[in-house]
Amino acid sequence: MSRDTLVSFEGVVKTFGSFVAVQKLDFEIKKGEFLAIMGSSGCGKTTTLRMLAGLEAPTEGVIRLSGKPINDLPTWSRDTPMVWQSLALFPFLNVRENVEFALKMRGVGKAERRKRAEQWLDRMQITEFAERNISQLSGGQRQRVALARSLVVEPEILLLDEPLSALDAALKVRMQSVLKNLQRETGITFVYVTHSQSEAFSMADRVVIMSRGVIEQIGTPQEIYRTPRTRFVADFLGSSNLFSGKVRAGGQGQVLETPTGQFVLYGQVAAVGEAATLTVLDTKTHLSVEKPAGAVNVVPVRVIGEEFVGATATLYLETAQGQEIRVQKGHDEIADLPTDIGQSLYAWWNPQDGHLVAEA
Amino acid sequence: MRRPITLYGLTFSLPLLIWQVLFFVFPLLFLVALSFWTVKNFVMQPDFDPVNWTTIYGRAVFWQAYGTTLTLAAAAAVLTSALAFPASYAIAFKLSDTARRWAVFLMVIPFFTSYLVRIYSWQIFLSDNGIINVILGGIGLGPFQMLNTVGATMIGYLTLAFPLVVLLQLFSLVFIDRTLIEAAHNMRCGRLRTVFEVVIPSARTGLVIAALFCFILAFGDFVSPVYLGGGEPTTLSILITDTTKSGQQWPRAAVIALTMIGTLMVVAFAAVKFAYKGKSK
Repeated sequence: MSRDTLVSFEGVVKTFGSFVAVQKLDFEIKKGEFLAIMGSSGCGKTTTLRMLAGLEAPTEGVIRLSGKPINDLPTWSRDTPMVWQSLALFPFLNVRENVEFALKMRGVGKAERRKRAEQWLDRMQITEFAERNISQLSGGQRQRVALARSLVVEPEILLLDEPLSALDAALKVRMQSVLKNLQRETGITFVYVTHSQSEAFSMADRVVIMSRGVIEQIGTPQEIYRTPRTRFVADFLGSSNLFSGKVRAGGQGQVLETPTGQFVLYGQVAAVGEAATLTVLDTKTHLSVEKPAGAVNVVPVRVIGEEFVGATATLYLETAQGQEIRVQKGHDEIADLPTDIGQSLYAWWNPQDGHLVAEA
Repeated sequence: MRRPITLYGLTFSLPLLIWQVLFFVFPLLFLVALSFWTVKNFVMQPDFDPVNWTTIYGRAVFWQAYGTTLTLAAAAAVLTSALAFPASYAIAFKLSDTARRWAVFLMVIPFFTSYLVRIYSWQIFLSDNGIINVILGGIGLGPFQMLNTVGATMIGYLTLAFPLVVLLQLFSLVFIDRTLIEAAHNMRCGRLRTVFEVVIPSARTGLVIAALFCFILAFGDFVSPVYLGGGEPTTLSILITDTTKSGQQWPRAAVIALTMIGTLMVVAFAAVKFAYKGKSK
């Protein structure tokens, strides 16, 4: 365990009756990082967060905070404030009283309490609502109250359980930058649970991807995006074209033999005979009308649809075998391409843009 | 904006309206009129004389009974609420769904028997030769006077209101958002403190309404102060029966009754206002 580790999960298992929510978690959270835990519902991400907060006890394994095991510490004896999906603001207290609550529980004196609450009300730009009831606030304002309420004790770590999911799209994006800036300025470790890839990737320094109670990959957003470690991750991100097959020895290196065709791999990456999946980012997959000269990985395809969102165009294509392929480009990049439905094209990519993951 | 009254709406609301007018507004108006009648030679005659009001309000015994009744009812409300709360809390937060349904069912059972029967059975327990004194005598204690005391009256009020108060409290406790409790724990608020800082404020409306019901039931109750309290100290309900028995003084009894109704209205309005304080509609 290195010096900059704040939290470590060591072989942590959590079961509810016969249901295994989390199996054998082993990972570390670094001091001062913004860590996102991402996965679809039921993957164990919220359970993981709740165990860290002390709201669930691990069935097996040890959770350490600053090196000390905290398994047996009740939540009210740990400093792991959490922001709930529902925000869990107290409706019977006004904004100021909500923000002062945690300080009051710590026995901080009235004057000091007021001063520290004032700072956070100011910082979150909600001073003018200090005397209001929670029911009189908008979604974004409530969000700020919830953050102020948790941060007023200036903890080492802040846990967030999908706090933005109730907001509309525009507000969500604004709150993302509020959160990211807040984390950068305070240096507080943020652990952010979400099912949204855009939230995780836009804010987090590192992302943990979970599925069925297991960690599939931990890494920076770039690492995960460019080099997904498992087929699940590549599938989950949905930004790559996947080709499953078997590794064979080919001309100069290795090739992957798939139902769609035989593709040249970049370097020696797997044992010959192994089942594997080749992932190619949709932005690194190219299209042309004529079969491109010199290209080694080419798939003949037919256009089945197109979609324009902002500056990017997404083309949906189909191979002769019925596999769907997606290509994402800027508008100008495909301006000369005939993209009528049914149009025959060639999809191709450079071998160095293909990334092989074990398991088919 | 006013919504038009439809025939459909009237069909359903009219019977209730007629009922209220016939059996509440009418008798109330009659009671007001009656309080101005006079009694001559044990015969009531229609009149408009404030003599009943001045007589009753001029009597120390009335104000004493008024003070007693207010105090007893308030004490019953506080005591019943305090005793019922741990029970409702346990039912709401500690029991499984099945056990909670059974508990609610058990709380309804007391309503199957008449309140009068339940009070009489308390006499068997509390009297000088009653079950409790016999048991205590067996170990060389007592006998203690338990019947005909204020304590016995209070037991009667508890018997009357406890199950209802538990049910009313329960229905506000089960709707508390559990994440609020978790959030309080998460902010260093221990279990017991959370009850006072979060659970009670969250359930305030229900808790106040439950206490109000207990107050109303105890304030007007005649059975417990007579059959368990032995008529001492005198409550307003006892004073009403005494007044009617002594020389056909129905008009004076009407004054007492109207005073009670007025008091209950003031208390009820104040309680409801407090219960919903700070809540947006």
